[in-house]
Amino acid sequence: MPRGGLLTALLLSCLLIGGCQEQETEVIRMGLANAPLNLDPRFATDATSERVNRLLYQRLVEFDPNSMPKPGIANWQAITPVHYRFTLNDQAGVFGNGEKLNARDVVTTYRQVLDPALGSPKQASLELIASMEVIDEQRVDFHLKRPDPLFPAYLTLDILPAEQIERAHDFAREPVGSGAFDLIAWPQTGELHLQRRSDGQVFQLIAVNNPTVRALKLLRNEIDLLQNDLSPELIGYLRRQPALRVEQQPGSNYSYIGFNLQDPLTGELEVRQAIAHAIDRQAIIRWVMQGAARQAESLFPPEHWASYQLTSHEYNPEKARKLLAELGYSDSKPLRLTYKTSSDPFRIRLATVIQSQLKAVGIEIDLRSYDWGTFFGDIKQGNFQLYSLSWVGIRTPDIYRDIFASDALPPSGANRGRYVSNTVDQLLNRAEQTDKLSTQAELYHQIAAELHRDLPYIPLWYEDQLSAQGSRISGYQLMSDGNYDGLAEVKLKRALDGDHVQSTTAN
Amino acid sequence: MIRYWFPLGVLALWAVAAITGGWVVDSANQIDLQRILMRPGDLGLMGYDDLGRPILQRIWVGAQVSLLVSFGVVSLSLLIGTAVGLCAGYQGGWLDLILVRIMDVFLAFPGILLAIALAGVMGPGVDNLIIALSAVGWVGFARLTRGQVLSLKQRDHVTAAVALGTPRHLILLRHLLPLLSAPLIVEATFGMAGMVIAEAGLSFLGLGIQPPDASWGSLIRDGASYMLMAPHMVLAPGVAIMLVVLSLNMLGDRLRDRLDHRSHS
Repeated sequence: MPRGGLLTALLLSCLLIGGCQEQETEVIRMGLANAPLNLDPRFATDATSERVNRLLYQRLVEFDPNSMPKPGIANWQAITPVHYRFTLNDQAGVFGNGEKLNARDVVTTYRQVLDPALGSPKQASLELIASMEVIDEQRVDFHLKRPDPLFPAYLTLDILPAEQIERAHDFAREPVGSGAFDLIAWPQTGELHLQRRSDGQVFQLIAVNNPTVRALKLLRNEIDLLQNDLSPELIGYLRRQPALRVEQQPGSNYSYIGFNLQDPLTGELEVRQAIAHAIDRQAIIRWVMQGAARQAESLFPPEHWASYQLTSHEYNPEKARKLLAELGYSDSKPLRLTYKTSSDPFRIRLATVIQSQLKAVGIEIDLRSYDWGTFFGDIKQGNFQLYSLSWVGIRTPDIYRDIFASDALPPSGANRGRYVSNTVDQLLNRAEQTDKLSTQAELYHQIAAELHRDLPYIPLWYEDQLSAQGSRISGYQLMSDGNYDGLAEVKLKRALDGDHVQSTTAN
Repeated sequence: MIRYWFPLGVLALWAVAAITGGWVVDSANQIDLQRILMRPGDLGLMGYDDLGRPILQRIWVGAQVSLLVSFGVVSLSLLIGTAVGLCAGYQGGWLDLILVRIMDVFLAFPGILLAIALAGVMGPGVDNLIIALSAVGWVGFARLTRGQVLSLKQRDHVTAAVALGTPRHLILLRHLLPLLSAPLIVEATFGMAGMVIAEAGLSFLGLGIQPPDASWGSLIRDGASYMLMAPHMVLAPGVAIMLVVLSLNMLGDRLRDRLDHRSHS
């Protein structure tokens, strides 16, 4: 090759490499604990998919900080208690196919999910809907089977384009939404490339399962942002790094210990009370969770409109011992129980601490950790004495029916502890029949008090939301339910510097 | 002199720790939330783990599992491997052919993968761990024994014993086994070093001992999540494994030098 040609080739390759690097640095990368499994909002049930879908699609209704429904892309009006009219507002966007989101898209999406033939897991929450009709391009009417003042809060489905639905488009792999982001590439399971519509900013969502590796990648600027799924100690370590910014805000995900009420041992109220008094939640929150949680007393955190302040089952080992002694247990004849948990190391760690606290009052715990599938299968079948789990992303108090009604045993509901209470059933029925939100709230308070007395669950805590951001980005807002909506506002600092350099050069 | 005293000293310490491990089980499992991830210092010689348990005591208790598994596996493998090797080597013929093919099948698998698969199928626990590791450990002893027997059985004293009508089992026990013991002891020493690492590996993968009991591999597994904040959780059991394996290998080398008559000639 002549010398000139070689030089040109070298120069070209340098330029190419330089160009690639420039392009790479303009991307904002977020580290995820798990890859999203399904981007079709009709079927997605895992938390990561739901959070990514929020970025790609729009919803009729959103929630305010008190978990009350507020208009999303539509405003609503209750014409009668069983007739709601939704009118699309100027927030309704344009789908990736160029069509503007309209009333027909809304009705087609909801009809699809309500169709039993589709088998959507979200069908059950919408069974209240009797019929829907399109009034015009902007307006949709919903007719209900019975009145429910909370009805708008159930309309959280991501809206899909009617045209694509009718053509049986594969939304799971090629989502077409009207949200703030477009999916531009999905090169591998754990790597999504999104583009923000407002300014064309490209984002990469990269799954890195190991928390330590994720933290190291953040430290090395391989990712710019990560959120949750880190041990409290790792968060503390990241907090001490001068180049990073760690944010923490109270969360609403509720952790609890559940009992099997059909078991002869955990079916005894005194046993459940003894366990409640034997667990030192404050110590666990302070030392194990490094303060990154709030003690819980009921399903909903204090800021929720349906929450109710209840007296805590205080840490009192003496009282626990006394309750056990009344049942005939002692150090020589200890109460033996099996405690199931998932194989997540942090969950095992928490369960081991609880095991040692229960041992101190004379309860011998056989701790068993299983992979998620086995564990969740056992819980649903009622094959347990006690277990710990969390409720994630619950917004509306109708969840009480799903968890505590006597007719909500799995698989039709989530009453996994087989809790049966006539009082709670009656209160639930009354709450559903009332059409005033204030009366409904009052009835849910009574249900919370009843559950506090009967203890089918021991409330543990609400875990905080945590995020760590690298030095290249700014403006990421952490959400209380852990969604990724903050990506709509996040900015790349270097892009600003780049603009500045460009304008200086131009001058 | 250090050539002998260092490995023997470390191994004696290991054995003492394993024997006395039962005395400190309670304190090794004692959770103290206020000492979570405390570094080595005034209160604990090797610091505390993610539940505030003392790491020194946990390593002490872990020595028991480590010794039990490695000794158990090597004994079982030695027993099975020597028996198979003796039969194959001395008998010869179709029996030798079949046994050699079986050994080849076992050797075709990467040993640790087969052990992982077996431990996975049988479930966690020390007894299952010993069975899984023995299932791959016996082949080395069998091959060594067979090779030695093939050469030893041609020797004059064996031919003489056969000519005198000595029963076969007496030939194997009195005339072959004593000559085999030297290489087998050396192989067993190296085998133990390998098994200490294999047990730690399987426990690291969660296939060995179950919480809250401690083994060196499970201590490293627990510590791996805290490597950035509390490296002592990984370093302390890691150094324990390294010292024991190094000592076993050094001892194996010394024994080989001493027992190999050719090196003295």
